[in-house]
Amino acid sequence: MKRTVFQELRHYLDVTAQVIRMAVLTVFEYPSNIAGWLISNPLQFIMGFAIIKFVVESFGEINGWNYGQLAVLYGISVISHALSMIFFVQGWFMGYFVIEGEFDRYLTRPLGVLYQFFFTNINIFGITDLIPGILVFVYGCMKCGLQITWFFVIQVIVMLIGATLIRGGIYILLGSTSFHTRSAVDFGQYTQEIMDKTTMYPISMYPEGMQFILTYLIPIGWVSFYPVSGLLGIENGVCNGFVVSFITLAVGVLVMLIAGAYFTAGLKKYESAGN
Amino acid sequence: MKKYLYIIKTQIIKSMTYEFNVYGNIVMQTIIMITSSYFWKALYRNQNSAAGVNAEDMLTYIIMSSVLSVLLITNVERRIEQSVGKGTVATDMMKPVNLFGVYFAEDIGSILALVFQNMLPILLIGSLLIKVPVMKDSGDLPLFLLSVLLSFLINWLIAALFGMIAFTAVNISALIQVKKHLIRLLSGSIIPIWFFPESVSKVLSALPFIYIYQLPLSIYIGRGSRAEHLAQLQIQFVWLLILAGVFVAVQRQVTRKVMVQGG
Amino acid sequence: MIDVNHLSKDYLLKKKAPGLKGALKGLIHPQFEVIHAVRDLSFHIDEGEIVGFIGPNGAGKSTTIKMMSGILTPTEGSVRINGENITEHRKTVVRNIGVVFGQRSQLNWDLRLGETFELLKHIYEIDPIDYENTLEVMDGILGIRELIDKPVRQMSLGQRVKGDLTASMLHSPSVLFLDEPTIGLDVSSKFALRRFIKEINQIRKTTVILTTHDLGDIKELCERLIIINHGVMMEDGKLSQIVDRIAPYKTLVAEYYDEQAPEHEKCEMTFHEGNIAKYRFMKKDITAAELIADLSRQKEIKDVSIEEAGIDDIIKIAYGSGSIL
Repeated sequence: MKRTVFQELRHYLDVTAQVIRMAVLTVFEYPSNIAGWLISNPLQFIMGFAIIKFVVESFGEINGWNYGQLAVLYGISVISHALSMIFFVQGWFMGYFVIEGEFDRYLTRPLGVLYQFFFTNINIFGITDLIPGILVFVYGCMKCGLQITWFFVIQVIVMLIGATLIRGGIYILLGSTSFHTRSAVDFGQYTQEIMDKTTMYPISMYPEGMQFILTYLIPIGWVSFYPVSGLLGIENGVCNGFVVSFITLAVGVLVMLIAGAYFTAGLKKYESAGN
Repeated sequence: MKKYLYIIKTQIIKSMTYEFNVYGNIVMQTIIMITSSYFWKALYRNQNSAAGVNAEDMLTYIIMSSVLSVLLITNVERRIEQSVGKGTVATDMMKPVNLFGVYFAEDIGSILALVFQNMLPILLIGSLLIKVPVMKDSGDLPLFLLSVLLSFLINWLIAALFGMIAFTAVNISALIQVKKHLIRLLSGSIIPIWFFPESVSKVLSALPFIYIYQLPLSIYIGRGSRAEHLAQLQIQFVWLLILAGVFVAVQRQVTRKVMVQGG
Repeated sequence: MIDVNHLSKDYLLKKKAPGLKGALKGLIHPQFEVIHAVRDLSFHIDEGEIVGFIGPNGAGKSTTIKMMSGILTPTEGSVRINGENITEHRKTVVRNIGVVFGQRSQLNWDLRLGETFELLKHIYEIDPIDYENTLEVMDGILGIRELIDKPVRQMSLGQRVKGDLTASMLHSPSVLFLDEPTIGLDVSSKFALRRFIKEINQIRKTTVILTTHDLGDIKELCERLIIINHGVMMEDGKLSQIVDRIAPYKTLVAEYYDEQAPEHEKCEMTFHEGNIAKYRFMKKDITAAELIADLSRQKEIKDVSIEEAGIDDIIKIAYGSGSIL
């Protein structure tokens, strides 16, 4: 039975709708959790933003970035973080899935394994991270006196998709090491700490070697620094203008493709559980 | 006591099983430490000192913060959550050892393993790649060690108390996150609160969090006078007493509740 | 239907030394060894067969069934279902298989059973009419409809197994894999499960492949047995044929009126104590009736009984851990 791309896409969308329905139902099965996440996630990012404000007050501008511009940067960083939490947070726990043999189920179903891994565990609570991100982003845009045009909105959406894919790809790459090491590693907290330092502040403050790594080897610079400097018209030494958002998207797709290939190679070494 | 020593030993062996985790953690913590050092170097590029601390001292601060963080890893909250969640808590409590004593011994065991697997490598890497984190005044060493001990106990008690919320609400994973963020941001582990505005830092000085990271680290880098340190140590000690008191009271109540209801 | 060709699977296993010193050694210089879990298996299974894989723990039967259902990638060799290689065309081939793995459930723990069924309906693109038909059949066998609105976390193990069995059949697969399905089940749930396997095999002509340790499963279900040990196939065939091949003899127990017992040239006396004697004879050499007639001609017999090798004895021999003597 040969199927067209369109039929495949419809199939995946159809399953996604049911999966989201189930995720929402699950949220309401445990109402006591909702309050916890509603407090926990916004709290973290509001405190984080307060810290940036205090740092700027103690040290002045950070590498030429003023408070308003830093708010825009922070906003994009947190929104892309939130999106990656919704769709890709399972990557942090891939090690447990490998050790516990949870991939068995995905492998015996007629859908992509990576798709099932992420979407059947979709994390609706990630939305609670979105709210503080959007608030700070809008606040920053107002501080910088940005004109909100249709083109601006498109650029922001494109860069957010790219940034989310970069984050997700990095989680997949880290998680897929479990296929080779057979250990339930969870580098989530460390990853986030590194991401915080490299996406919430301009990477131009770091030495050139590190900037090179963050631009070309582990492209975290494309999560927020390059697209936001493009958006704000701040010279970043690599590329500027509206094209940056689209490069961000391209980088995101590339990282995802590499991560997907590494995952698929790892899956061949999957040993299930028991025995 | 022998039982607890056995638990500690078992936990050490457990912690060493996955060599990849051990090396992975070292690599990740090294990256974090180096990033932090560049972060502070960049901030200090245009000024010699901020809030009475210079760049060199700040580098010592972040290296020692990474080193100290190894001692402040707890698992007690998750163990309580699992025990309550799986419904094994009543039988666990029936065993001839104190349940919380077991969790404490397990955490000690993990930390002892981590001292060699993590803390010493990080100290070595930090010294080689960033700077040798020398103590400002070696006469403060007893004071420093005392405050580290108190900070370990405070941190463990806070974790245990958060864990005990599991006895009332079913799922505490969100609350464990809240606790993690509170400590991360309000304890001075990443950014010392002396960079915060006066009013905020006054409020934080009254809360237990800064006595987990910032006090021992301030003593280490010699920020503030010995008299100030001693005064803060007293507050730290008071917090330890308060938390220990709350812990004992809550533990009693929880034990009674479990024994009556059978979990 | 299913072709397994020269299938092999190797694992790398980390060597563990005991104690603190061992743990430290493993940390600094981890040692690995290659485990040959499955070695060069080849067999063919026809449509509508019920095949039981048996073997001791760690024999490689789970590894085999996991390679056959596309979960593990073989180190060497191939598995073809309806002519298609499952490793190369996983997504197409798995549409035709159903899987139930003992203690691992595919049901969503937090929600009512019907939600998982609904998800599977979307995943396998099941036609609503077919879906209803299957549910009807499953309700007949397992009484699934009364469970459909119950949250899975509130179900007993037996009820969850029923849910999992139904879930695995919703897309009407032509092959059903079961890995130790009866483990931990109570008697009535075991009965329901066996009836389920027999009925779907008859009604839907579903090929069933299962691994089990349960002698009852083997006796009642498996027309064909494949015995695996140390990753190698020991036996493949009908239960009765395997019995004939492994234990081609019976034992006659005779009780006499005194302690004198006669010998017979076509059998071997394996036991003689008091008035009782045991004779082991090859089925091809002599029948039991002939032997009794010959013996009673020499001496009057008070009582006789015939012992046959049971399935458990056969399995013991096949596993190499026991002897019938």
